[in-house]
Amino acid sequence: MIQMCDVPRYKDVDMEEIKKMQAAHVLLNKVEYEPKQIEKGYTDKLLTIDVTDASIQISDIPAEVKEKFVGGKGYCLRYLWDATNPNTKWDSPENEIVMSSGPIAGITQYAGTGKMLVATISPLTGIPIDSNVGGFFGPYLKFSGFDALELKGQAEEDVIIVIDGNKGTIEIDKAPLEHLDAHLIGEELTAMYADDENDRKHVAVVCAGSAADHCDLSMLNFTFYDPRRGTVRLKQAGRGGIGRVFRHKKVKAIVCKYQGIKNDLNHVHDISIINKTGVKYHREMATQDPKQNNMRKIGTANTMKILNDYDILPTHNFKFGGTPNIHEMEPKVFIEQWLTQGAADGCWYGCSMACAKAADHFKLKTGPYAGNCVVVDGPEYETAAGVGPNCGITTPQVILEINFYCDTYGIDTISWGTTVAFLMECYENGILNKERTGGLELNFGNCDAALELLHLTAKNEGFGKIAGMGTHKQKEYFAQQGWGDMKFMNDIAMEQKGLEYSEYGSKESLAQQGGYGLTNKGPQHDEAWLIFMDQVNNQIPTFDDKAEALYYYPRFRTWFGLVGLCKLPWNDVVPENNSLTDEPAKVPEHVDNYLDLFYGVTGRRIDREELLVMSERVYNFQRIFNIRLGKGLRKHDAIPYRSVGPVTEEEYLSRQERYDGQLVEKVGYTKEQVEQMSLQEKMAATRTYREGEYEKLINAVYPKRGWTMNGVPKIEHLKKIGMDLPELIEIVEPLQNVEP
Amino acid sequence: MKRLVKDESKCIGCRSCEEACSKAYYKVADRDKSCIKINEKAEGGFEIKICTQCGICGQVCNTGVIQPNANGVHMLNKKECVGCLMCVGYCPEQVMVQDDSRSEPSKCTACGLCVKACPTGAIQIQDC
Amino acid sequence: MMLNDRPYPDWHEGLTIQGVIEHMNFTWPKLVTKVNGQLVWPEDYPNVVLAENDDLKIHHLLAGG
Repeated sequence: MIQMCDVPRYKDVDMEEIKKMQAAHVLLNKVEYEPKQIEKGYTDKLLTIDVTDASIQISDIPAEVKEKFVGGKGYCLRYLWDATNPNTKWDSPENEIVMSSGPIAGITQYAGTGKMLVATISPLTGIPIDSNVGGFFGPYLKFSGFDALELKGQAEEDVIIVIDGNKGTIEIDKAPLEHLDAHLIGEELTAMYADDENDRKHVAVVCAGSAADHCDLSMLNFTFYDPRRGTVRLKQAGRGGIGRVFRHKKVKAIVCKYQGIKNDLNHVHDISIINKTGVKYHREMATQDPKQNNMRKIGTANTMKILNDYDILPTHNFKFGGTPNIHEMEPKVFIEQWLTQGAADGCWYGCSMACAKAADHFKLKTGPYAGNCVVVDGPEYETAAGVGPNCGITTPQVILEINFYCDTYGIDTISWGTTVAFLMECYENGILNKERTGGLELNFGNCDAALELLHLTAKNEGFGKIAGMGTHKQKEYFAQQGWGDMKFMNDIAMEQKGLEYSEYGSKESLAQQGGYGLTNKGPQHDEAWLIFMDQVNNQIPTFDDKAEALYYYPRFRTWFGLVGLCKLPWNDVVPENNSLTDEPAKVPEHVDNYLDLFYGVTGRRIDREELLVMSERVYNFQRIFNIRLGKGLRKHDAIPYRSVGPVTEEEYLSRQERYDGQLVEKVGYTKEQVEQMSLQEKMAATRTYREGEYEKLINAVYPKRGWTMNGVPKIEHLKKIGMDLPELIEIVEPLQNVEP
Repeated sequence: MKRLVKDESKCIGCRSCEEACSKAYYKVADRDKSCIKINEKAEGGFEIKICTQCGICGQVCNTGVIQPNANGVHMLNKKECVGCLMCVGYCPEQVMVQDDSRSEPSKCTACGLCVKACPTGAIQIQDC
Repeated sequence: MMLNDRPYPDWHEGLTIQGVIEHMNFTWPKLVTKVNGQLVWPEDYPNVVLAENDDLKIHHLLAGG
């Protein structure tokens, strides 16, 4: 086992090189400002930067915006709406990247309080994408005086934006020499703007990676400096191609510097309740985590084996729910051989959950940095599952190498894993072949080909150009070329609304099919993760139960993104007596912690119901934003059949006993009839049944959410939740009586 | 290495140590602000909770502001501390102090004031 | 016997909660277990013998996402 105390510090950057990079900067604009002190979690200030003309504007955030949108994702969507119009595309100059952390962000006493929310119109989906990310930038931006940052326009040459919250300066520089890859530019800018080594923890960098210049799957990296390792660490705003938009604007990086971190920079209403709640939570982590999820030892990848054991771990492009080779990469292997133990791996201060694990001095075997020894941040569960078993890969060394390169190139590991899995299935079905892939043998489990494809994508060469388009555009392209049947590709391409699925096999859980399909941004599990409640626990057996869960959880989970919190500390550890509560799945004591934190920071006492309404407003706003951009109706909530049932004979046969049984128990055939049916007939009957169930689920969910059967929020519902804004009514009014 | 050691059989529960400790830093006699704690045992007698300089507080700190000095005493650098209170929650002896009047917690520095205050010699500074 | 409101086909004399957990390969550490509505703590899983008409609930408290 590798212990933190035995890990040597990383080699420092070459300061002479850094000086050369800095000397090459050309100042485009610089403003001085008086940083607004935060009061009860808010500065009520918005920073707008237009890189077209390097203009910098500071404006007030009105009280009405604060009341309806709270902060974080709410602010991101509000300002994105205002900046764009129904015809705005991801590469329109008016498209913005908006970032906002939220009122609770920046306290240090509780776990997971440093989140930044980021939104833009996505190159993958054409509708708003939102992604949340750790690291230091979110809190530092607020400490520097801004609740939100909007980035618009398009620069002619590469620029960096530097905000110094102590001096009160914002400058935009042309910056030609810094590298694009995140592990390099993160170190370079951190060293450049820190006064000395001890000052590096006061610098936060947002950057993308070299793939973001052309790959639609690109994300943003947010740094945090790790003083023990002496290196910059990376967290990702991964989903939906935000990095592509960032680089399209020719922004190389945003730097924010703030010295003097203390636990009351938010000037909170009642610090005592925050201190008390924080210590209680840290104590719970200390005593319960080693008995529960081991988040401090392995992070979110603790679930890898469990999902395999329960037939949920996506394997071979979501065909199967597990792999016989799981022992090669189960948590024990990562803990004992790869991930450094005993490190304080929080991505913001006070995160006792400390899930940002790392493999240290990892020697790369391939690509432009082959031979280098680097820190690999992760792997998180989604990464390990997506680039691992879903592509038939179970070798930890390869998973870590792909993880590192995805991060530094700026590629979202979830979209990458799901995309490569799709390409591999296409390869094995003859839709692709060696000629079409430029010689890559994209069979499941081919580690060398998977890595080579990643490097090609970063360089925008060969078949890498195709891989970088994402699954939705790939299937259209393959059909156009006459390579494959569109119907089959629609069945196996695990994307919806243009976004690749995250890594849970939902075939055996109708509620999880809805948890993916009935989302705003596309199939990401952050709205509703119901798979165990439904499939294993059978806690939500009826349509009404499932619909209620698909109404409650998206609202509850949205709230984290409004206030600047990480969701993991909510239920990746639970109080010792949680099982005695009425609804253990909701972790009631932790919900009350959040109400206390919100009160402690803002002075506003809300109850559990008000919390949900805060989210529901923003949730409906986002739905209507989708409709405004042409993608928020029932037809857009359709999901690929691979997420619902067995597409291929191979899949049916792998679970034949279950599927045959269901034809009797659920569909209504007799045992004798099923015995007489051909495999194709059984598959067709299963499909008809399962697709029908999904439609029935939608019929149950939309009314709960106050939507029409076409998925449009009803005006009366918007009135009820206080979200009947004229610009929303204008969009939904003509659709109130339109049938799906 | 310098640290406190205890002999609970000698403790008479006078709490002079708690008072000396809380007064040293917080300037008030308040046992909630003491980095040494005397608890009554159910079976009679007293339990003395002291900092063993185990260093877990330093391990969990992601700012690295709790470091052992030359004597092996874990010292908290208040200037650099961001007041996250993880050390308080993780202290196995529960003898780190969080007080709302200060941003940073406090911990035992093995200063010996409690030892001087103890009338029976139930606590000692060990230097080994 | 019912497990999570579904008939449990492998009931036999002397079956314990631990036996069900092993048979079902429930490898998750955070389980909330109730027999006929009564909470059972993990240390008692090997001792609680299930009757043929018992209503057993083994809920996985699994985080995810």
